[in-house]
Amino acid sequence: MRTFCFRKSSCARVILSAAAAIMQIGILTFVPDAALAHGERNQEPFLRMRTAHFYDVKWSANDIPVNGEIVVTGKFRLFPIWPVNLPLPEAAFLGNGTPGPVLARTESYINGVPAIQSTKLELNRDYEFKTVLKGRVPGYHHVHPMINVMGAGPLLGPGNWLSVTGNESDFKLPIKTLSGETIDNLETWGLGRVFFWHGLWVAIAIVWLVWWLRRPLLLPRFRALTEEGGDRSQLVTSTDRLFGAGLLVATILIVFFGFQATDTAYPRTVPLQGSRATVEPLPEVPEQVKVVVNKSNYDVPGRSLRMNVTLTNNGSTSAQLGEFLTSNQRFINHEVSQAMATVDPNYPKELLPPNGLKVSDSRPLKPGETKTVDIEAADAAWETERLSSLINDPDNTLGGLLFFYDEHGKRTISNVSGPMVPVFTDPDNRTAENPKGGAG
Amino acid sequence: MQGGASVRLYGLEWPKESARISRVFDLLVAAILFLAVSGAFHLHYMLTAGDWDMWIDWKDRQWWVTLTPIMAITFPAALQYVFWTKFRLPIAATFAVVCLLFGQWINRYFGFYLWSYFPMSEVIPALLIPGALVLDLALLLTGNFLFTAMSGAFAFALLFYPANWFWLAPYRLPVEVMGQLVSVGDYISYAFTRTALPEYIRLIERGTLRTFGGHSAIIASFFSAFVSILMYLAWWHIGMLLARVVTTPNTLKNFMGLTDKDEPAETAQKAIDRTSLQGRFVASE
Ligand SMILES: [Cu+2]
Repeated sequence: MRTFCFRKSSCARVILSAAAAIMQIGILTFVPDAALAHGERNQEPFLRMRTAHFYDVKWSANDIPVNGEIVVTGKFRLFPIWPVNLPLPEAAFLGNGTPGPVLARTESYINGVPAIQSTKLELNRDYEFKTVLKGRVPGYHHVHPMINVMGAGPLLGPGNWLSVTGNESDFKLPIKTLSGETIDNLETWGLGRVFFWHGLWVAIAIVWLVWWLRRPLLLPRFRALTEEGGDRSQLVTSTDRLFGAGLLVATILIVFFGFQATDTAYPRTVPLQGSRATVEPLPEVPEQVKVVVNKSNYDVPGRSLRMNVTLTNNGSTSAQLGEFLTSNQRFINHEVSQAMATVDPNYPKELLPPNGLKVSDSRPLKPGETKTVDIEAADAAWETERLSSLINDPDNTLGGLLFFYDEHGKRTISNVSGPMVPVFTDPDNRTAENPKGGAG
Repeated sequence: MQGGASVRLYGLEWPKESARISRVFDLLVAAILFLAVSGAFHLHYMLTAGDWDMWIDWKDRQWWVTLTPIMAITFPAALQYVFWTKFRLPIAATFAVVCLLFGQWINRYFGFYLWSYFPMSEVIPALLIPGALVLDLALLLTGNFLFTAMSGAFAFALLFYPANWFWLAPYRLPVEVMGQLVSVGDYISYAFTRTALPEYIRLIERGTLRTFGGHSAIIASFFSAFVSILMYLAWWHIGMLLARVVTTPNTLKNFMGLTDKDEPAETAQKAIDRTSLQGRFVASE
């Protein structure tokens, strides 16, 4: 039976694909879907709550063929209460969080400035970004916008699943050089010269090694050097020296003429470009609603964040609290239609906690009005996104953005930040497993 | 077998069977050494000049040209001491560099290209063979480590940039991307992104070295060449230290009564004196 099976390649293939299917079912059953993303939850909560807040992020497609294009756009604000243990964004780079170069980035901009170089960014300011990506490796990929900050590492924006279909070998990234060469595909450009030149020198090196290896090598040479009667002139003969001298001249000549020939073949080259881009932040919009956090608790068994805040409307239009954004989780106040209207149906569901934001008084603030309200963001996301580990951090100040809407639907953004006090127990006997509480 | 035919190897009489076994031993040691040097040299090189060697947009005219020869002359120098003084073999540098290149290509092809999706054009290792050949040939022709340092180690660094330019030049052609001038190498690394290694981490011609004027690769090459001489001398001596055979005397055997009567027990201090004297004798040979 066994021999029969291993002889028939079709049978082996059946076994292999069955094994693959079993493994796949296993993975799909026991690993939650989003856990296949790439570790964004392992970043400390203070890092995710108080650095870059991405909003209005859009992915132009969910499904592209190899060579197809996807454009990721959106805005981000660098939080003013920046963690003290992180360096300021003196040098930052717009990246894209993907599992390796499965997509090729063809263009990227921050506020319209090409983002091929790094730049300095300012705190408490907003920036608009755009990244154009081209499908390269087929598969199901989690794609995030991302800001790398020198010394602070990658700061990830929201991630969305994207499927790339087709054949990897069809991928091409062509470009025309300013000196007139047409490059069909950057993936393979120049490799002919690389393989020829590396191959040539490896061949010469092997000739030199074999020249010596062909003779008795270790013990005979060692004895001839150390023992009476050994003939040292046979260890290195005059033929060896002559061959060596010839090889020395040949090496220098090959390098010299190789260099000359290359300069003739490519007379116009430029060094690597290492400058910094200058990016002006978006025009400053005054904060319409001033937010003061009076008290904030994280309820550990109830998995909810509760804040008591005093809101003051300093603008000339009304303001209604529509959304609390932190760590790429959008807690939306379901009572505010303008806020609900901002949710793109394509937006990743796992970043929209279903209960949204509960506000004790959702009525709009009139111009000049001050009101103290309780807001609650309760969701299992605090645990699944590992944000509740804020209580283990040396810096447990929370941070986020509050989005307000006026009667015309115009949005203004306020920063919200304050120390967080955990509540570990409560009289209702609620636990993380039993958030409703009650006996048993 | 006993008393069979014999051969003369380098002026010494060898029983034929011994010569044959010695040849098998040669090949075994060569194979083991190839893998060991590939691993050890590759690790050393990755830790000291790794990113410069890995990425097409790190190979600038200043830091790459300066650092690579300085960090790459280490193992060749140490191995040259052993290969030349113990066996009169002028192949240590070439051997070390071929081992390194082997390890790099394995790493780039399987680790970067197949496993992590980077195109080969982004991860080509630098070529050190021409410089290594000249280093070996300098030792062969001068027979002296000091002259080798001054000529061979100097040339090892000087040849580095021109020897790599042959394959590197196509990656330094100018292209216009989003209305900006960059080189093809810059654009390759921009297009095939490294999520954890952003642009600002690179060191592209930073510092005052270039203000000496002219082409910064030439200045960097000469600076690297001077430091390479010193590195060569230092690592030749490291090779000397590592090649010493030092044994630790078993002083505990005295307690077990295992000392010969006419041979007094050797103290630890005496043993250290003896071994270090021996080491010095071998080293200065
Ligand atoms: Cu992800």
